[in-house]
Amino acid sequence: MRRFLRLGCLALGALAVARSSPAQEIGRSWQDFNPDISIIIDGFFHYDDSDEGLGHVLSEVAGFGHVHAGEEHHHHGPEAGFNLNHLELALSGEIDPAFKGRAIVGVTPEGAELEEAVIETTSLPGGVGMKFGKFFSDFGRINPQHSHEWDFTDAPLVNLLMFGAHGVNDIGAQVSWLVPTRSYLLLGAEAFQGDNEATFPYIGGEPLPELGGPRMGVGWVKWAPDIGERHGLQLGASYGFGARQEAHDGDADGTLDHWLDGGARFWGLDLVYKLDRPAAYGRGDLLFQCEFIRRDMDVEVVRHDPNPALVGKHKVDAQDGYYMQLVYGFAPRWRVGLRWEEVGLTNRTDLPDGSVEDNDPSRRLSLMCDFSNSEFSRLRFGVTRGEYATDAGVQDVWSVAVQLQVSLGTHGAHKF
Amino acid sequence: MLRPTIRILVTAVALLSVGQAAAALNVVTTTTDLASITREIGGNRLSVDSLQDGTRDPHFLQAKPSYIMLARRADLWIRIGMELEIGYEPVIIDSSRNARIRPGRPGHLDVSERVLRLDVPSAKVDRSMGDVHPQGNPHYWLDPLNGRIIAETICERLRELDPPGAEAYDAGLAAFKRKLDTAMFGEGAVAALGGDELWELSRSGALDAALESRGIVSGGWCALLGPHRGACVASHHRSWNYLLGRFGLVLAAELEPKPGIPPSSRHLAEVVETVRARGVKAIMVEPFYPPKAAGFVAERTGARVVVAANATGGDEAATDYVAMLDSCVRRLAAALGGGGQ
Repeated sequence: MRRFLRLGCLALGALAVARSSPAQEIGRSWQDFNPDISIIIDGFFHYDDSDEGLGHVLSEVAGFGHVHAGEEHHHHGPEAGFNLNHLELALSGEIDPAFKGRAIVGVTPEGAELEEAVIETTSLPGGVGMKFGKFFSDFGRINPQHSHEWDFTDAPLVNLLMFGAHGVNDIGAQVSWLVPTRSYLLLGAEAFQGDNEATFPYIGGEPLPELGGPRMGVGWVKWAPDIGERHGLQLGASYGFGARQEAHDGDADGTLDHWLDGGARFWGLDLVYKLDRPAAYGRGDLLFQCEFIRRDMDVEVVRHDPNPALVGKHKVDAQDGYYMQLVYGFAPRWRVGLRWEEVGLTNRTDLPDGSVEDNDPSRRLSLMCDFSNSEFSRLRFGVTRGEYATDAGVQDVWSVAVQLQVSLGTHGAHKF
Repeated sequence: MLRPTIRILVTAVALLSVGQAAAALNVVTTTTDLASITREIGGNRLSVDSLQDGTRDPHFLQAKPSYIMLARRADLWIRIGMELEIGYEPVIIDSSRNARIRPGRPGHLDVSERVLRLDVPSAKVDRSMGDVHPQGNPHYWLDPLNGRIIAETICERLRELDPPGAEAYDAGLAAFKRKLDTAMFGEGAVAALGGDELWELSRSGALDAALESRGIVSGGWCALLGPHRGACVASHHRSWNYLLGRFGLVLAAELEPKPGIPPSSRHLAEVVETVRARGVKAIMVEPFYPPKAAGFVAERTGARVVVAANATGGDEAATDYVAMLDSCVRRLAAALGGGGQ
């Protein structure tokens, strides 16, 4: 990773040298072979009135427990005070007439991690596209987006709780087909190694079975009827399935004592509507977006040290959640947004011992207002009031955030 | 009940497919002006669609799925270039999975290659200067001479992609040039000297002298704006200097403090000073910009606000490229007084 960063810095240095040269296009022509480089810095100030911090509360939401398989438990929620979401370093470019590639590295003060490294086809016939590497699954609206594309200071609860802070982002391959119909219809199928912390964790090794990859599949469809020059509408549906393994330390004595193996699946529906008014600087533009996701998990006890009689019994989970958000450009460069979300309307766990946990839903209302000084910098204020159902009862939390996002360099255009 | 419906459907499908088969090429342009010029050259041989509708800031466009479908069917993609479309073109072309129109292929045409450019930075630029384009100001289609150059570039590429249509394209180009030249110089001047000669003279700045020495009275836009040579004009965005420069008018002030940054009250106070000091009589504003800033300056200086579409389709008068320029010139001339009708 370091080496990669150093390469990036070298390339940046080269760019700076080239830019200072007065010779215009000739001086720039050799540079055309450099990949486009962009850096996004995304930081915020966070305050909330919970006892142990919002990050802790989010990790305790009933029905959405994480399975960390003995790993040290750390949550990704915001800390009180200053937070640096990350610095996103992206390199992209055409590889040859058949492929393009991009690599995106998320750098935090603790280190760097590979967010995406993708090779995509550009010239397959018949509207077919293929993608290989590590990438965000393209299902739904929020999952494929990088954090700087979100319209609020954080991701919707349903995405965060079902797929973790990084969403479904995995090593795999994707095939998609742009159907030659009059209106836009895109079908996609993805196969991933299967290593999602929240819904599709894979542990492997005694006593759990070793499973070869790919362990997870996602299919989706996106349809966009043409509803007029100023309006854009896109509807999506998705389905995903894969292996799920759990390892628990039931008596909290520091050693794992029961293991479960099985599978999980989810389905989702999403809708986005955009109104693009002619007024300049984004005034009057409107965006409505909503998404619903439901997941079902079924795992079987393969070994249970405290109570071997439970072996062969199942733990069955069903959870769902949705969000809806509206963002409106009320003045040149200013937007205001409102988001309402609920998770756990269905929130039931049938435990191996025959008992049933019927957990309460959690809900949240967020208000945001942002100002874009230019296309490359944005200041955002957010206020959120959440009622989180946790094992310790319902926790009401107010939180506020002030976020600053900037983009340097040549950043690729964003999708609809 | 069902049969007539089926018959209508079959007829409709047949008509649709005939309509598609009749077009030798599917052309998609980013802006309405490029579409207008392409239609004038290609006539019925082409099916031409534009992404923009002319009513919006051409720097911004949502990469809507319907645009992706247009791109998927396109044989030829025509853009303004100079990074005007950088915010939406790459994602539309990528998503269309249409290799024919990727940059560098014959189906991708950037018409900025041969145009006359303004505001090409001579030193390093950075984004503290606002939305500056390293390759120059991209609003070059507002110079009618560039419109002519664009048409020639498009015609050349159409001939290459559709050789059987070469004659038709040449005829279309000639007709377009005649229309543009007449609108620019008037019939008499075009008849006497020919369009090519007139544009050469306009380019070298010797037009007035040449016409005078031959006793030719210019008509068209030259007659409307000729009397205002040297007059100072303000504009909201730095988009009108191409049009002004063609007629020897001067862009003296911009309401945006930096390109793409909306006017601030502090900057407008300076603009008011400049407008007074240099005797600016007109402020040009595209219809999609908020009218308040121009109104503020006009109120304090007596300058007149000229709302004019900078693209075909931007208002009722701008029915095609030449009509768009025509309405801009007439409105500007009227605001400047005297020669305007």
